[in-house]
Amino acid sequence: MPVFNATAWGQLPDGRPLHRWTLRNASDAQIDITDLGSTLLGWQSPDRQGRLGEVLLGHATAQQYLDSNAYMGAIVGRWANRIRGGRFRLDGIDYKVDRNDGGNHLHGGQYGFHLQRWDVEADGESLVMRLVSPEGDGGFPGEVRVELRCRFDDDGTLDLQYEATSDAPTPLSLTAHPYFNLNDRRPDIRDHVIRIDADEFLAIDAGAIPVGRQHVAGTAFDFRDAAPIGSRLHWPDPQLRLVGGFDHCYIPRGPTGSAMRTVAVVSEPSSGRRLTVETDRPGLQFYSGQKLTGQPSRDPEPYGPFAGFALEAQAFPDQVNSPESEGAILRPGVTWRQHTRYKVDTA
Amino acid sequence: MLTIKGHAAQLRFPSPFPWFSLPRCVMTGLTRGVVISTVMAPHRIALLFNANKVYDRQVIAGIGHYLNSTRVEWDLFMEEDFRSRMRDIHQFRGDGVIADFDDPEAPDMLSDLHIPVVAVGGSYHDPANYPTDVPYIATDNARLIRLAYDHLIEQGLTRFAFYGLPPHPTSRWAHEREHAFRAIVDEESVEGLVYQGSPTSAGGWGQAVEELVTWLAELPKPIGIVAVTDARARQLLQACVMGGIAVPEQIAIVGIDNDPMAQLLTRIPLTSVIQGAEEMGRTAAHLLHQMLRGMDCAGTRVLVPPVGINVQASSKFHPIRSPHVMRASHYIRQYGCLGIKTEQVADYVGVSRTVLEEHFKRELKQTVHQVILTHKLDTACDLIANSDVSLADIALRCGFTSLQYMYAVFRREYDCTPRQYLDLHRKTAAT
Repeated sequence: MPVFNATAWGQLPDGRPLHRWTLRNASDAQIDITDLGSTLLGWQSPDRQGRLGEVLLGHATAQQYLDSNAYMGAIVGRWANRIRGGRFRLDGIDYKVDRNDGGNHLHGGQYGFHLQRWDVEADGESLVMRLVSPEGDGGFPGEVRVELRCRFDDDGTLDLQYEATSDAPTPLSLTAHPYFNLNDRRPDIRDHVIRIDADEFLAIDAGAIPVGRQHVAGTAFDFRDAAPIGSRLHWPDPQLRLVGGFDHCYIPRGPTGSAMRTVAVVSEPSSGRRLTVETDRPGLQFYSGQKLTGQPSRDPEPYGPFAGFALEAQAFPDQVNSPESEGAILRPGVTWRQHTRYKVDTA
Repeated sequence: MLTIKGHAAQLRFPSPFPWFSLPRCVMTGLTRGVVISTVMAPHRIALLFNANKVYDRQVIAGIGHYLNSTRVEWDLFMEEDFRSRMRDIHQFRGDGVIADFDDPEAPDMLSDLHIPVVAVGGSYHDPANYPTDVPYIATDNARLIRLAYDHLIEQGLTRFAFYGLPPHPTSRWAHEREHAFRAIVDEESVEGLVYQGSPTSAGGWGQAVEELVTWLAELPKPIGIVAVTDARARQLLQACVMGGIAVPEQIAIVGIDNDPMAQLLTRIPLTSVIQGAEEMGRTAAHLLHQMLRGMDCAGTRVLVPPVGINVQASSKFHPIRSPHVMRASHYIRQYGCLGIKTEQVADYVGVSRTVLEEHFKRELKQTVHQVILTHKLDTACDLIANSDVSLADIALRCGFTSLQYMYAVFRREYDCTPRQYLDLHRKTAAT
């Protein structure tokens, strides 16, 4: 049975108080989550020896989360990832949304879901987070209501179930944005060994916007057999050079929409910890953390490059401007759902 | 677009070499959703390895995985005994070479080949030791040792030693591992002893073992030892048995290679670091593939870290205060599956049953019988999950008097039958 324990945790610029909830499972693993952006603040998980250690990157203070552009641990929306030029056409109407990433839209814009204060309540074994995103939020049409149920199971699974409705058609793609480092004693994830169950990924242009599907075979992106992240970064691959590492959307195998499937497994040899990601989303963004340099950490020393990696289950980047755009549109009368699980245990 | 140069002429070349060749197939590339298919002649590639060790075989397996995943067609040349003879390589009329550069002859032998060469070998702490004109894929020796050392630290050990190899041109990698060990203990200001031992030779073996036992006996204890390979770790385990030294209570041991052969030959299961050898093979194949398409990869150097550590009994160090319990545990780990009883354990330790039981109760909160039974059950569960041995054989191997008795014990201890346990845990395609 989980334990919820709310404590005061900083405040918003307008003075409204923020809180931190603690979820604990039977093996004493612990997840801290705040109402600011439904952000995962920390995750203490046992290693091979049963010793608890931190597996998520995080800042030290609420103010650092408000000032940061790393989306560390947050739920991002209304649109996870990028929209080319911050423009899209929906039902014959052209929309312009916030452009906050070199002329493109990224992660809901300047004041996305990650900077909003969500309403939180405990409901049975789950923590329920709710947010109302008003018409025009970030430039998007329609009022969107989001509900996220977080549950922390005894086997080390963080279960995230999202539901959303809108009173007008709008693009919608939400994702959790935790940065993991499964070895709490080494601030570098390049020795982590990753498997991604995907035959294809989306090749990108210099602005990190997808330009087409590419098969992973024969490329540095082929993680169908597990491989260390760090050595792959040295493969001579132009897609890696474009963004200094991995920051690409994979297309995991299997049906999407309702069926959960395992999309990635990451293991860390030294601690023995292992992360398993399951989702019903069509896309899985893998970011190797190359641009984390200078991000404030919980310690005085800021993070360096490759301090953590992110695996974000989501729609395809810029999907609203693709032939598959309708799959990323939420219409009135429909309840949008997504389901993602992160499990941390030991191999 | 993928464009591959054809080499039709080479197919008719009457080769003096033995061959094995992948099936001819269609090269398929997917770019921006467009399928490009082109039938082409295979490139002829020589793999120069001494594939008598598990590491080399894994590198070659990685090359095979890459070829299978890409459907790139290469005609692979290897000697039938999988040993490389670099002196003959100038007769090779092929398109590329992947070679073991731990072989000290390789750089010179291959320097004037006018076809792409990809080097595979160990990493060096001094960058000057890398060949400059070929891409180099290395197992990261420093990170192998770091992983082994960190594991021993995690077990609570504070003293460390390294068992390496005497210097020899063919084992520069062993010297690099020794250097990495020295660097870590220097940096962390902890006690770190190094023993290179003797070369393994049939004639000098008796004396080498005696010297090894003496070195082990004189070490301060408890201590954790990193062995340069599993083959060396096996010698340590054997010497510990001969010297009556308890593993892991007095000496905890970590090897490198995760070699199944070494596991088979040791009574105490060996903890071992798993090298990223398959990934090295995939990387080497990828680089050669790019070079055959015209890319210049000469300066590319890829260091591959270890991909895991197989943690077994040889390193599961738990500080135990009673020397009786330590000695008894050591005996049970070796002979627990041979039907031993509490009396025999007490005899081995040299104390009465009552005294031994008192010590067990105080230290482990268990009776001697319970510890023996737990050892038998652990061994049985491991065999059920990780082998394809029949349940009847497992019962016998683990010292149960009958299959029925093993069923009864499983029922009592796990509330399931061995068959149910097997259905749940046995991996498909058992090894």
